[in-house]
Amino acid sequence: MTDFKGLLKALTDGNVEFIVVGGAAATAHGSSRLTLDLDVVYRRSRENIARVFSALKDHDPYPRGAPTGLPFRWGEKTVASGLNFTLTTDLGDLDLLGEIPGGGTYEALVRDAVVLDLFGMKVQIVGLERLIQVKRASGRPKDFEVIAELEAIREEQETET
Amino acid sequence: MDAESAVNQEADETDPVIEAYKKHVDRSLIRENLKRTPQERLERLMELQRFAEELRRAGKEKKGPGR
Repeated sequence: MTDFKGLLKALTDGNVEFIVVGGAAATAHGSSRLTLDLDVVYRRSRENIARVFSALKDHDPYPRGAPTGLPFRWGEKTVASGLNFTLTTDLGDLDLLGEIPGGGTYEALVRDAVVLDLFGMKVQIVGLERLIQVKRASGRPKDFEVIAELEAIREEQETET
Repeated sequence: MDAESAVNQEADETDPVIEAYKKHVDRSLIRENLKRTPQERLERLMELQRFAEELRRAGKEKKGPGR
């Protein structure tokens, strides 16, 4: 199980600049679909890469689905020389993304992010409209149901107001 | 038109495929979710994960080891 609170706390306590995207963001907006991992887009600055490294170093990050025993070493250099990482950690599965199709980088997403109070932390989540755009841009058939639900959420919110 | 505007315009257009999928969305679930706070929604997601894991474990146990 992914400890969303624990992962968000590790990143927040480490002062990492990040935005929650993907299924967890959809859940925060009202989706009822099951998602198993936390997807975040992190800022690719040198300082933030150092923070990402520090925030996760005590949580055993390892490439998800890779065979055990690889010479993988979690370090600042690892983060700096890569971009997107699909990781397992002792807090659960974490997708650490430098950029996403249809959404781009942290800098591109932050303008449309909303700040939510989650577990006593201020957490940036990709806005609903932007999340729909990102899912549309992916063009994956498996996302059709997700987009339909997100658009229905938007319609329900419009009805409420 | 820049790339972002193009994406925004595309998102504003109604997609008949998505409209077809939308007919099957359970709006009562959405309405119930929207009554909850974002934190409560994430807490429910974790509960759902626990339940899914329990179902997987029970399924494996039923099949027996190595099957």
